[in-house]
Amino acid sequence: MDEEQQDREQPETVRCSHPESDCSPDATDSLDAAAAAAAISSHDPSLSDRDCGTEGPFPGKSAGIKIISSTNGPVEPDLQGPGGEGPSERTANHSEVSVGEVNGRSRPEGAEDEEDRPEDVSDSASTDNTLEDSSEFVVTVLTRASLEDQADGPSSEPSGLSQTPPPSNQDEDVTAESWRQHRKHVFVLSEAGKPIYSRYGNEEALSSTMGVMMALVSFVQTGDNTIRSIYSDEHTVVFMQQGPLVLVSVSCSRQSEQQLRAELLYVYNQIVSMLTQASINRIFERKKNYDLRRLLAGSEKILDGLLNLVDSDPSFLLSAVHCLPLASALRDSLSQILQKAITPNLVFSILIAKQQLLTIVQEKTVIEDARLEPADLHLLLNLIGASSAFQAGEIWTPICLPLFNPDCYFYAYISYLDPPDCTVCLLLLSTDKEAFYAVAECKRRIDEGMRAQNALSSIAKAHSYSASQVGVPDLRHFMYKPFDVPDNHRQLTQFTSPEMEAPYSSEEERSRLLDLYRYMHSRIHSSSRPLKLIYHVAERETLLAWVTGKFELYTCFSPLVTKASAINAITKLLRWIKKEEDRLFIRSPPKYSTTPNPSKSSRGSKGASDRPDGSDNGFLSLL
Amino acid sequence: MPDYAKTKKPDVKLVILGDMNVGKTSLLHRYMERTFKDTISTVGGAFFLKQWGPYNISIWDTAGREQFHGLGSMYCRGAAAVILTYDVTKWQSLVELENRFVSLTDTANSDCIFAIVGNKADLTDTRAFAVEPEENGTEEKEQGPRASSSPAAPPKGHKQVSREDAVALYSRILQYKLLAEETCLPAERMCFETSAKTGYNVDLLFETLFSMVLPSIRRKEAQSDSPTVDLEECREVKGAKPGCCT
Repeated sequence: MDEEQQDREQPETVRCSHPESDCSPDATDSLDAAAAAAAISSHDPSLSDRDCGTEGPFPGKSAGIKIISSTNGPVEPDLQGPGGEGPSERTANHSEVSVGEVNGRSRPEGAEDEEDRPEDVSDSASTDNTLEDSSEFVVTVLTRASLEDQADGPSSEPSGLSQTPPPSNQDEDVTAESWRQHRKHVFVLSEAGKPIYSRYGNEEALSSTMGVMMALVSFVQTGDNTIRSIYSDEHTVVFMQQGPLVLVSVSCSRQSEQQLRAELLYVYNQIVSMLTQASINRIFERKKNYDLRRLLAGSEKILDGLLNLVDSDPSFLLSAVHCLPLASALRDSLSQILQKAITPNLVFSILIAKQQLLTIVQEKTVIEDARLEPADLHLLLNLIGASSAFQAGEIWTPICLPLFNPDCYFYAYISYLDPPDCTVCLLLLSTDKEAFYAVAECKRRIDEGMRAQNALSSIAKAHSYSASQVGVPDLRHFMYKPFDVPDNHRQLTQFTSPEMEAPYSSEEERSRLLDLYRYMHSRIHSSSRPLKLIYHVAERETLLAWVTGKFELYTCFSPLVTKASAINAITKLLRWIKKEEDRLFIRSPPKYSTTPNPSKSSRGSKGASDRPDGSDNGFLSLL
Repeated sequence: MPDYAKTKKPDVKLVILGDMNVGKTSLLHRYMERTFKDTISTVGGAFFLKQWGPYNISIWDTAGREQFHGLGSMYCRGAAAVILTYDVTKWQSLVELENRFVSLTDTANSDCIFAIVGNKADLTDTRAFAVEPEENGTEEKEQGPRASSSPAAPPKGHKQVSREDAVALYSRILQYKLLAEETCLPAERMCFETSAKTGYNVDLLFETLFSMVLPSIRRKEAQSDSPTVDLEECREVKGAKPGCCT
């Protein structure tokens, strides 16, 4: 019935938003122009003026080098020196052009570099010998910074000249043009400007680049302000400070600042999940210039994997969890198997197949205080993906769930139930560091339970569905995310989506569709002008996104669809989802109670487990 | 059969320690799966159960990353053998053994035995390099290209850690453990140079250790040789016998 009502509203809404949405095909362009005009969007509009000071150091290239060499020392004084003496805006712009030349047409001007090098060495003999290499990128960054002063800046942007295929290696040459071509760079550095992580290339080789990033951050900071982003013709640079860490995203993916910021937050949270926020803060309180890579060494792959997932998996965009469609009876019986295999201090039992959630069962008292956030689950899934090197074993590792509690560790038991195929993964989270053998015993029981019911083969048969099953001819793909409704507001946020099928079967097309979704998402969630409904006619497809108090929906149609038929299709789609709801979503995550007595350890569970609770039929009461 | 092994309680515990990237996971992978493949940095620790004759040997493959240092002593608790792994081409990896890992073994059994293992010997040693990777059916095929492409280039890595260094470390560990060298296993037998890539000495390493920890298993059994009859054990013997005959 609800749906009917909404249906009647639809045509109107569409009409309302029509003028807005019709700018669609070239919307990106106009959007960018606006973005460029916005220049630095810091809190203080007067800042863009002052920011020219940042370019101060680079009228002469040697001055630019100066910042770089101060990477290891205090950044601000050096920077403010030349900045304060302030070359006028004009000189800055002028030099930008010359730098652009130096920078753009490869680097046969070894002579200039030669000149600079002695200075490097004298200033910071200890820094690595890659200074000279990365200084070029620094100049590029600075050039970008200058570009935002000339909103309609000349397209002499030095980056983005040729289209070379990017090598996908950590020891990529950071001076290569291909390095600059990457769609999205992510850098993590400490407040002291020390490099911690770079998505592409070696952080060490980028220390000077990161030094400049930190210089930008702290320069703006001295004015009691916070740098948020820099826009240039092609790139968006987003800065985010989280405690003692600074995260920077340099992207030419045309995503919104908001989206890029959310992605940076995932990166930060993944780091927290490995170290905990408390220990990161403690480390840097004690030693400002600590090299965090010591602790993160080896985890680069996990961060790389996360960023790849963020790019390819819409769950991150929607901050919702994707469940594998499963007959609700089967899902319930799986949950019951998990529910029966418990041990003290066990708080979450999670079953995953094909990187999608099968079911999740939680300790009863824990969920009263908090629930597992989709973002935490995403980090867990990524960890599983990154640690699957040797799949016959049982992994026991500390992990922090940053949104649940950023300062404590859980202990995760990860094991595959179907070696050697390794498609069904069991994840058990305990608060007790020593509980490995007890938890491993739970796995044996789960193993037995699964075998008794022949559950593995049923799971193997489960698979995602095709958009054609909905029975709407023009519908190619969709993403549907129901919001929390009062009766199950403690529920995990989920979304459902069919397989991406032809014409989106190739990697390239897939990411193109995702880009379109991202664009729709950014319009819907625009901070300045949020929309409820967009009808977007793209080059090769037509998209319709709609957000209500109950759900968020993104649909993709064939290009020939009409507005009326698209709306019709959505009505049918919603009806279909309603019908399939029980299969598509986990309706009521069951709970168990592992704490008949107050437990000895409740580190991670926010003291939840010190409430004794005898009744353990939480699952039945939920039904 | 592996399921049967999994339901069994492990009889003895073995731990692999060492700095990151020395090849701990690869060593174990070579021994268990008979192949070499690129691994991802281990998180935390990974637990494996190896059935060796009638015994179940549990092996902990730990993460070398400093991040997981805190868990080290937990993995080592009650261990009967510790494999301290370094990379023969990296001096620092041997230093780290002494700095970070030896102290973790405090929680191991008092009669714990130590093996010092220099991995990646194929990079420096022609003998280790020349070892033909074992043939084993299907898996060999996927490994084929790698194996066939490598013989073209002789090992040219610079060996930074000599066997003598490892032997010296071994005696320092015994000192640290307040053990008299004479009563312990001699260093020559406890220092190995291996290559997980070619399989050089890998089986030797594990088989030697297993046969050395056997006494520890026997002793445990003797202790549990109480008036109570262990039905489980009986079944185990029975299970093993028919297996041989068929």
